[in-house]
Amino acid sequence: MSAQRLVEQFESLEKQDHAARLAMWMFLGSETLLFGALFAAYAYYRGMYPDEFVQALHHNSVALGTTNTVVLITSSFTVALGVHFIRENKARLTAGLFVVSTLFGAVFLVVKGIEYSHHIHENALPSGMYTFIDKPPAGVVLGYTLYWFMTALHGLHVIAGMIMLAVVALLCWKGRYGAHRNVAVENVGLYWHLVDVVWIFLWPLFYLTD
Amino acid sequence: MISAHVTTPKLVVSWLALLVLTFLSFGISRLGLGEAELVIALAISVVKTLVVLFIFMHLVEQRFANRLIVILTFLFIVLLVTLTVADPLTRKTFPPRPDPAASPYP
Repeated sequence: MSAQRLVEQFESLEKQDHAARLAMWMFLGSETLLFGALFAAYAYYRGMYPDEFVQALHHNSVALGTTNTVVLITSSFTVALGVHFIRENKARLTAGLFVVSTLFGAVFLVVKGIEYSHHIHENALPSGMYTFIDKPPAGVVLGYTLYWFMTALHGLHVIAGMIMLAVVALLCWKGRYGAHRNVAVENVGLYWHLVDVVWIFLWPLFYLTD
Repeated sequence: MISAHVTTPKLVVSWLALLVLTFLSFGISRLGLGEAELVIALAISVVKTLVVLFIFMHLVEQRFANRLIVILTFLFIVLLVTLTVADPLTRKTFPPRPDPAASPYP
């Protein structure tokens, strides 16, 4: 394991790590606000069309949505274990756990893809492309537009998280990180947990609505 | 500075708690409680988020500066959602919603 380098603007490695961690939390905060604007849009239109939203989202498969919730929570658990073990200098174990987490992310995307293909088959598409129900009330189309936009944006975050987890897993395996150099591992873990937290809110809003 | 330490048993217990809360949320959504359902589901989601934040994300053992960002993010979202929703919920003088027949695709 190569030792961590102290860059000149910091007094100690501890402060340097704290700065990296704090910056990651700030980034996650801004990410949350991006989703927060979409949650506000959801609340606005659901307040306007309560019945139509329930009608539209009732059609989503609760079984697939709940499967994905369990998959993401479990992947978050394996990431948390990985971060725990890198602190104990078990880099290979961390690499393995991060690979498992990446695979959980892939399972999530496959399940989401199955759902999307159902929607595409039924023409339950966003905005003007929607033809699932003939002459639907306006709220139904809005509900599906928000569903597609929010889940697709979340899906992009899953893909980004998977790429980062895979890269860090490889670097851990090669011995780049260890007990005294792991803030990057920690920060990638934090990103993955944010992806999990966003889904924790998307799940009740888009699947548990009947 | 570090007052608590996240250990393997704590991580396992948190994971199990998250799964239990997920199934609790699912079970309550099947009861047909109407409007209250959404409020209960979101409350459970907030509890799950706190577990993820403090244990999985190690917030419990970090400096207050990191927690402050979480608190500020939460307050900003509450402000954003509350003020946005106040508009459709309190609109009286105007048609509260567009006529769907006039424009089926908004």
